[in-house]
Amino acid sequence: MASIPETVGKLPLRLRNFFARYPPQIYSALVAPTPSVPDGEASAEQNLPSPYTPDRDAKGARKPDPEAFSLSQALLHNDPNNQNPFLPRKIFTTGKWVSPRYGLRQQADLVKLAIKYNVEPLLPPGRKSTAFKEARLAERGLRIKGTGIGQKVKGHKWERTMEARLEDRRKAMVEMPEMIRLWKQRGHGRGWRQWPKR
Amino acid sequence: MAKKAKSRTIAVRLISMAMTGYYRTMIRPRVHRPLSMLKYDPVVKKKVLFLEATKGGKAK
Repeated sequence: MASIPETVGKLPLRLRNFFARYPPQIYSALVAPTPSVPDGEASAEQNLPSPYTPDRDAKGARKPDPEAFSLSQALLHNDPNNQNPFLPRKIFTTGKWVSPRYGLRQQADLVKLAIKYNVEPLLPPGRKSTAFKEARLAERGLRIKGTGIGQKVKGHKWERTMEARLEDRRKAMVEMPEMIRLWKQRGHGRGWRQWPKR
Repeated sequence: MAKKAKSRTIAVRLISMAMTGYYRTMIRPRVHRPLSMLKYDPVVKKKVLFLEATKGGKAK
């Protein structure tokens, strides 16, 4: 943090204006409280959908709970006294939403600039911040079924059964000399009883 | 009309006993005993026992 005042002068005008309007000591992600997982939902894994559906009727029955704790949503801290310019605000008297001061495109521009000048933590928490994106990625996985936390990739059937099949094959090959000996003993198949089923 | 006569020979499947799923198809006389022989299985790359698979689980 000590180096930040020195670099302020080198920041582009756009960032300097932003920080002048929204001073980091009030608005930045650094001063926002760090979200902690509530005790009741210590294992966030249980809230995640499983790629396996043991019961066919249950397929699609488990929708994600909108009330469940979400780290990415918790990161989007909004202090009612100092409205976060990156987040929309709800007016409870009218029930209407007010758009954020900075739209998503402008937010993205600012975040990219801030990353370039190494001052990203000084921006308010928002949907374009690296921290938010990381948290969301961990929750959702790579948008590929089964890559999230506590999920498994289903894979092809041949991949799932590979281990068992190789074990069968290995066992069969261990017993093969004895089987051949028995087969020769019984007249090369004349007295054979256990024919395989097709 | 009389039923068409059954052919004298049948095609049978000889299954590798190495449990690789590899098989060979052969033709034998219908009245012959089930076939069994040592043959090469390219999956395990060895000569293994091949036994005739019974259709419907019945064997002579």
